[in-house]
Amino acid sequence: MSTTRKRVYGYLAEFKSASALYKAAEKVRDAGFTKWDCYSPYPIHGLDGAMGLKRSILPYLVFFGGMTGTITAFLLAYTTQVVIYPTVVQAKPTNFFTLPAFFPIMFELTILFSGFTTLFGLLALMKLPRFNHPLFASKQFERSTDDGFFIALEARDPKFSATGSKDFLGEIGGTSIELIEEEPA
Amino acid sequence: MSHHVTSHEIPVNGEHLDKSKIAKAKTIALAVMVIGSLLSVYLLFFAPKAQQGSYSYSWVFALFYFFTLALGACFWTLLHNVSNSGWGTSVRRVMENVGSVFPWLSIFAIPLLFPSVQSYLYEWMNMHRKVGGDIPTMTLISEWLAGSWNWVLNGFRYIFTGETLPMASTMADRLHHADHLMYNKHWYMNLPFWYFRSAMFFIALGYVIYRLRKLSTAQDTDPNPGTVHLFTARRRAAAFLPILALTVTFAAFDWLKGMDYTWFSTMYGVYIFAGCAINSMGVIIITTYLLRRAGYLKNVVTQEHFHIMGKLLFAFTVFWAYVTFSQYFLIWYANITEETRYFLIRNTEGWNIASIALVILHFVVPFVILLQQWLKKKPHLLSAVAVYMLLVHILDIYLIVIPERGISLGNIDHKTFGNISVSIQGAWMGDILAFVTIGAGFVFFLLRALGQHSLYPHRDPRILESANLTN
Repeated sequence: MSTTRKRVYGYLAEFKSASALYKAAEKVRDAGFTKWDCYSPYPIHGLDGAMGLKRSILPYLVFFGGMTGTITAFLLAYTTQVVIYPTVVQAKPTNFFTLPAFFPIMFELTILFSGFTTLFGLLALMKLPRFNHPLFASKQFERSTDDGFFIALEARDPKFSATGSKDFLGEIGGTSIELIEEEPA
Repeated sequence: MSHHVTSHEIPVNGEHLDKSKIAKAKTIALAVMVIGSLLSVYLLFFAPKAQQGSYSYSWVFALFYFFTLALGACFWTLLHNVSNSGWGTSVRRVMENVGSVFPWLSIFAIPLLFPSVQSYLYEWMNMHRKVGGDIPTMTLISEWLAGSWNWVLNGFRYIFTGETLPMASTMADRLHHADHLMYNKHWYMNLPFWYFRSAMFFIALGYVIYRLRKLSTAQDTDPNPGTVHLFTARRRAAAFLPILALTVTFAAFDWLKGMDYTWFSTMYGVYIFAGCAINSMGVIIITTYLLRRAGYLKNVVTQEHFHIMGKLLFAFTVFWAYVTFSQYFLIWYANITEETRYFLIRNTEGWNIASIALVILHFVVPFVILLQQWLKKKPHLLSAVAVYMLLVHILDIYLIVIPERGISLGNIDHKTFGNISVSIQGAWMGDILAFVTIGAGFVFFLLRALGQHSLYPHRDPRILESANLTN
């Protein structure tokens, strides 16, 4: 007889409303948890502050992504229009002072590269795409895309304990507390 | 968000500015305005011709600078109402107060109505007066009205028959022989219509901001405040917005672009509007910051409001650059003789350095600074950036108005002003005088408006939404 051992992902608790979720998030933050997340059907203003989230590094990635676009466009236009094949259009000089003519391309590539960095940077930071998530094992979690507000405390958090965390979620107003186990591969 | 503001923290009668605190500043501003105005009247009408000519340009420069600030605030008020915004209810009164300076600026626009001042600024008017000097004003007006009617009729005629009839007008007939371009533009550029438009800018938009502000302040004392004022303001603002668009576009055309009647650019009105929107937002930020520092608006304005205002400042900085470059780029690239004049003048000698500096100072520097989120959340730093933007806006308007001076004056009367030149020696002193005079007037009327009513619409149904803003 074989037994399957399942790895514990953590505890999932449901909260009544967005404001209950917000207040609970502040308490989880103050209790010092780091590996946990809130799940709600829609964005809640100020929840990042209530969760104590640090600012994402995405803006910096986008800034350098955008700058790469600007420089790429400039080099592309300058090399082709000035260095390799100087083109005189409407008596414009073929040197650095043709710059205004390159601006539209520089502008567009800045936008394009920024857009790409935003999208792919975001996906990378969120570790997406992925095929499954342990929380999908929970039946009630399906409601997080409809009318359910959830907090999940993960087992890999140093503060996590099998009984303490369950009681803690109950104390801060969580209901239908459920132990989530990862499905065997 | 640390603290949730409730209706208990909103004073029943609102917050009123302690008038004794601003009395001194108000008196100084009034005194500077009066003394400056007296000096200006002398320089514009009684001084030697050389001073009169160069000071006329100083006056237009200063007038238009503060005109853009007040006009932009009218824009923000209208936009706030029409977009049904909740975030800015607590700073809306500041927008209305800055906007309420607008009708008062008509006092400073009076000199532009005098033919002696116009003769230095607008060469097309000289041409009209020379060609049609003996035609009675009433005839000019009636011919223009008949011409406008004919213009409509001709439109229909063209649709149905494909032909148009020539328009009968003594003025147009004479211009036909004098200057063909002037003849073509006659339907728009003629004295009766110009006077009509100049009056309408202040009357129409002045009425708009007066009504909106009145609607807002009436709520403070209305025994039965509800959503009526809010919805009325939204409905009216939608109807009023076209007036703002027409005012900013045609004021820019008539007062600034009219200085060189041969040049044209359809982007010009948008370009001026972009400057209005940035810099009046700057004034709103600074005013809000100073009020908060003096101990007002503490409950209702937070760093979130400054963050949003900073974002708007940033957005319009980018918009300004986009529009300005669009205008420059098409003219630079097409390189058509009659279009390049504007930029040729501004790319000559010292003006060239100023033009390049404008690109860096008005776009690159604020773009990089305002890109940072933390900075926009610090009211004092954001106010410093706003002050900086107002300073660069001086350079922007200066570059629009002043390069025309040496050229037009030399063209109009080279015996008095010497030959056409890039700039006129010593004229900058007049620029400063005019700027200080109208600036003092702006500050005076703004302080007066701030002292009149509660500093924020404390009975607005959305004030708590605004006070608890997060973004």
